[in-house]
Amino acid sequence: MSSNLNRIVFAVTIIGLLVLLVPLSGQAAKLPKDLMVFASTDSVTTWDPSASYSVELTYMANIYEPLIWVSPPGSDSQFEPALAEKWESTPDGLQWTFYLRKGVKFHDGGVLNARTVKDSFERTKSMGKGAAFILAPIKEIQTPDDYTVKFILNSPAPFDRIAASAYAAWIISPNAVQKERQWFDEGHEAGSGPYMLESYKPDEEIVFKRFDGYWRGWQGPHFDRVVVKIVKEATVAEQMLESGTADLATRVPIESGRTFNEKACCEKLVGPSYMNYAIHLNTAIPPFDNKKVRQAASYAVPYEDMIEVGLAGLGRQAIGPIPYGQFGHDDSLHQYGFDLEKAKKLMAEAGYPDGIKENVIFTYAAENAVEKAIAPLLKEQLARIGIKVEIRPMIWNAQWDLVKGGPENAQHMAALLWWPTFSDPYETLISLWQVEEKPVWNFSYYKNPKFDELINKAYATPDAVGAQAIYSEAQKILIEDAPSIFLFDQEQPVYKRKELKGIVINPAYPRVPFWYPMYKE
Amino acid sequence: MLRFILKRFFWLFFVLLGLCAITFVLSRVVPGDPAAVYLGPRAKAEQLAEVRVKLGLDKPLHVQFLYYLEDLLRGDFGESLRTHRPVMVGIWEHLPASLELMFSAMLMATLIGIPLGVISAKKENTLTDHFSRFFAVASTSLPSFWLAMLFQILFFKWLGLFPIGGRMDTVVSLVNPIEKITGFYVLDALLSGNWTALKNVLHHLFLPAVTLASYSTGVITRMTRSTMLEVLREDYITTARSIGVGEGEILFVQGLRNALAPTLTAAGLGFAYMLIGTVFIELIFFWPGIGTYVTNAILLNDYPVIMGVTLLMATFYVVVNLIVDILIALVDPRIRFE
Repeated sequence: MSSNLNRIVFAVTIIGLLVLLVPLSGQAAKLPKDLMVFASTDSVTTWDPSASYSVELTYMANIYEPLIWVSPPGSDSQFEPALAEKWESTPDGLQWTFYLRKGVKFHDGGVLNARTVKDSFERTKSMGKGAAFILAPIKEIQTPDDYTVKFILNSPAPFDRIAASAYAAWIISPNAVQKERQWFDEGHEAGSGPYMLESYKPDEEIVFKRFDGYWRGWQGPHFDRVVVKIVKEATVAEQMLESGTADLATRVPIESGRTFNEKACCEKLVGPSYMNYAIHLNTAIPPFDNKKVRQAASYAVPYEDMIEVGLAGLGRQAIGPIPYGQFGHDDSLHQYGFDLEKAKKLMAEAGYPDGIKENVIFTYAAENAVEKAIAPLLKEQLARIGIKVEIRPMIWNAQWDLVKGGPENAQHMAALLWWPTFSDPYETLISLWQVEEKPVWNFSYYKNPKFDELINKAYATPDAVGAQAIYSEAQKILIEDAPSIFLFDQEQPVYKRKELKGIVINPAYPRVPFWYPMYKE
Repeated sequence: MLRFILKRFFWLFFVLLGLCAITFVLSRVVPGDPAAVYLGPRAKAEQLAEVRVKLGLDKPLHVQFLYYLEDLLRGDFGESLRTHRPVMVGIWEHLPASLELMFSAMLMATLIGIPLGVISAKKENTLTDHFSRFFAVASTSLPSFWLAMLFQILFFKWLGLFPIGGRMDTVVSLVNPIEKITGFYVLDALLSGNWTALKNVLHHLFLPAVTLASYSTGVITRMTRSTMLEVLREDYITTARSIGVGEGEILFVQGLRNALAPTLTAAGLGFAYMLIGTVFIELIFFWPGIGTYVTNAILLNDYPVIMGVTLLMATFYVVVNLIVDILIALVDPRIRFE
């Protein structure tokens, strides 16, 4: 009896072990030098360059090109030629002429000419999706010859910044410019950039291969292929970097970020970004309908502590609404510091010497780890000046819905991470603080016609110096009125293997790793 | 049997209709603007208004529901608000990865759970039995997401034996790509004779499958042990022993066959439940299956995807239960369909 049973048990065990052991013989292959693996959190919402307006920018900026790029900080000039070699505008800012580069090919064999540019912009504008609104100033596009494009505007606008935008300004191959969005969303692209889309598995992997016909050429070390692994878990991305199964990652856990440079394998590079955080105060209802209460709240925020806790030190306290490095930023503007005595004095002047009886509701996006980390700090410090905060984390869409539900129903305080569509302060200022009956982004229900007038005037001022002066004046009003607490400008970390070189961090293109200059030692 | 099957599908229709209605209402009631999901976070007010009309969100709820049912009858599950691709396409793209994981996990669970349960029953109240019972309880009690992370730390980070996640190594997928035939990487690699890729895929499949199998393994072990204990006490077993039938045949033929019905039920339910259980596993092992697809949708309230996947899971659950009932009847002729 026992011997038969034992034989059966033995046989099952051996078979079981074989089944289990076969996979153990596999070993992960090392990544070759001509291949980069990028552990990214960024999924694609659309492959249509005219409609793209989300985190797929990470990939679009390597497939497509605009007429000009905004130069990285520290560059000699503000812009860099791309598909246009040079450009000029009339003194009144109503006409902008771009002279195109000759001999540029697209991935599908199309050739760049003036018609291509005209069709690309007209397609984007007529579709009206994504960031197409930035093209509203265009009245007409003329093509006096094959390599000259002239934009005639309805009203003066900084069209160089628009043409260099991260969205809505991509130039599309003439062979695809008439295609419907569906064609793109099936996984096709029609760019002229250094990398082509080779394969796309949604939420899993995207493979790019180099475009041999790229106009800059391939002298020097470059990657033949870039494989993007969609990895939502920060811990997993970190482990991929450590094990060498990824070369670059979008993020690692906040706690790891602090000590990341102590790792033998890897390092963290930090550069500026145009992403910033603010807490918008509902100015339509008590207590934040009182300017002094708003100013008091601004003085009660422990900015440096929040940067440390929320961003692991990767940030700088904001000076007004425009982030450091972006056109429009002004270092000379007033900056609220952490000063509880001043805050309490302002509360007393506002008529609240003993604080506010009712709770104020503070919402933040539950998916945002930074906002989650700083919420308790905000609550603790505001309590010390008599403002009792009730924290309510909400899914982003739910928070947004609540804000838009009318001032009486909206929360008192709402955290918001913002970044500009293109590197001009106009869109930020007009979106977040322009008078709106039914707000889209004016979370603070701020109403100041003088402010609106100034920013519209600045936008229509052709010369940069003149425009800057007006933007500064508008920001002074905003800072004085304090409809929002301007928290911090986020820096942009890049987590990578040490052998990966050639990283360029350009805040005008948030979270974009430009693959063309990268290589492995 | 045919009548039994038809009756089951008849009730399936009402189950799905009810589920559809509940999910539809819940997805509309949850705060959030679907138009904003569709257009992205920076859409302008006019764009949002236009999309609301396009998506029919300006209509009364019951009208929206009727339109949805009408589309469903034509096999149209709608379009993902996030990716703008048909939900059915998204489901077909992601489903093979989940099914491959589930089949592997179920195979492991039955290969381990049934023999372990039988041995445990045979060696009742011995050290083997105690160990087996402890293992079964631990398997069913430990949360799968915790186990997943523990396995990653242990087998990837410390021992370096298995990859951290994904379906294949990057280099292998580029150098030895698998020809897509069914979407099941193991099957496709086998069919195309791509042994390098097959080995690599199995290597990647192992940890997630073991994690997913843990709960079902525990359930199957306990169920098998429990029913075997009853069967082994039956008179016909004693008779079989007395006339010299071998112990192996007694256990695995005479005994197990009669004990299999409840085990099959448990296994079937476990398999159906796995489709839900894959959500955490896929997230942690970045496995591109239905779990990943629906998690991304839930975070954004991408309701067409949520509803499509919910209906899929419900249908799957009912169909698997039906198959289990049929299998039980085949295994045990004493059971009749009523």
